Amino acid sequence: MTVAPAMRILVVEDEVLIALELEYLLQDLGYVTVGVAGTSAEAIALGRSTSPDVALVDIHLIDGPTGVDVARALSADARTTVVFMTANSKRIPEDFAGAFGVIAKPYSERVVASALTYVAERRAGGRPEAAPDGLSLAPTA
Amino acid sequence: MTDDDRSALDAFGLADGIFAAAFSASPTPMVVTDARRPDNPIVWMNAAFLALTGYASEELLGRNCRMLQGPDSDRDEIRRMREAVAAARPIECELFNYRKDGTPFWNAMTIAPVRDRSGAVAYFYAAQADMTDKRRFEMAMRGTNDELERQVDARTADLQAALQQKTALLHEVDHRVKNNLQVISSLMLLKARRTPEGEARDALQGMAERIGALSTAHRMLYSAGDVSRFNLQEFAADLLSDLSAGLDGERTRLEAEVDPLAVSAAMAAPLALMIHELATNAVRHAFPGGRAGRIAVTARRDGENLHILIADDGVGMEAGAVNPAGFGRNLVEMVVRQLRGTILWEDAGPGTRVDIRVPLDGGP
Repeated sequence: MTVAPAMRILVVEDEVLIALELEYLLQDLGYVTVGVAGTSAEAIALGRSTSPDVALVDIHLIDGPTGVDVARALSADARTTVVFMTANSKRIPEDFAGAFGVIAKPYSERVVASALTYVAERRAGGRPEAAPDGLSLAPTA
Repeated sequence: MTDDDRSALDAFGLADGIFAAAFSASPTPMVVTDARRPDNPIVWMNAAFLALTGYASEELLGRNCRMLQGPDSDRDEIRRMREAVAAARPIECELFNYRKDGTPFWNAMTIAPVRDRSGAVAYFYAAQADMTDKRRFEMAMRGTNDELERQVDARTADLQAALQQKTALLHEVDHRVKNNLQVISSLMLLKARRTPEGEARDALQGMAERIGALSTAHRMLYSAGDVSRFNLQEFAADLLSDLSAGLDGERTRLEAEVDPLAVSAAMAAPLALMIHELATNAVRHAFPGGRAGRIAVTARRDGENLHILIADDGVGMEAGAVNPAGFGRNLVEMVVRQLRGTILWEDAGPGTRVDIRVPLDGGP
């Protein structure tokens, strides 16, 4: 198995406890968390400065339901794959604001793990069969 | 009455005789005009006509009926009436007329030419009806209808606004519940990470998993649009996938055969807890020391009941390590009681068989 550099992940989540546990989980799964943002401004700034491989974006942030704007801004950088992580999928616009898909909250560790494996395979140019359950893809993904 | 009038009435047969008596006494206002004299003057009217217009007979005789018209009489309707009279055609029309005292009334009339023996038009005969009340009623009805429609529109708008508010509130609450479940699960897992390996850590992780089972139920509860039902098959697939992910697939297999059953939403959480607990129990305790085996979960409808069977081919209850505090089994029994169901624990030799029946619609 070739050792690809671990995916660098930006966590955009206003609930500190969820963000912290997610960081641990990402670490357990062998990924690198490049930053945690609680507001849209922080998220966009961190996205610019770190150019993450993946951004996990909650829709409700400290400054309101601004996760959609964050997704649009971060996905403008072709290097970043945005995945929503939200309990409010109804707020996601039809074009997914440039995001790749959504993981519905409350999620399990297994769903996060299999979703990220799938994202990694797709980023590497692979065409794995179907998205794992728990990850709903954008129409264009 | 002039002699001319008299002769005219004789010709009409209204001077005396049975028709004269009948028409004079009729409650329907009637008038006759002489078509052969200039400007078509009134030559006869009955008492009802006098009562309707407020004039005395001498004030009317010899005058044209237009004396009843006034500023608000409809010019088009007057023209239509004149044209019919000029052409000697019968006509029905409705005009805004005025009484002697100036009060207006809606006058509906039928005008018909009366011909002499030679066929020439000799008279016009008109019968009237006061339509003021009817008009007023119609106006009132129209007003009432408009008002009712306005009220219905306003009410509908109110209800729509209220529904939108309620829908927004439902989404908000749904979002908060899901988010809070994630927070609770994160809390448990964070604490578990900081707890040394052992019973306390296992307990925290066990709790996080139970919350995970509830979360899975809740995630599915409102996602399908139908808020009152819950798809047991989808739920079991998700729940058991989570459980399988932690298994060594070579050694332990978890198989599910769940019918696509829609159960009441109120049963979702208890069923989630129960299935999770039994499957987890089997995974944890049925195959000690690297023993291989399989766990089968089946759920199907059996008449009025939901029949759930969880069987493993492991070491069986007697041989199994003592479950710390036996909390899992306790929990399952409490949940079955809550669902008014029955549960049977059997040593299946090999393994354990748990047979549960809960009423599908008699749930809490």
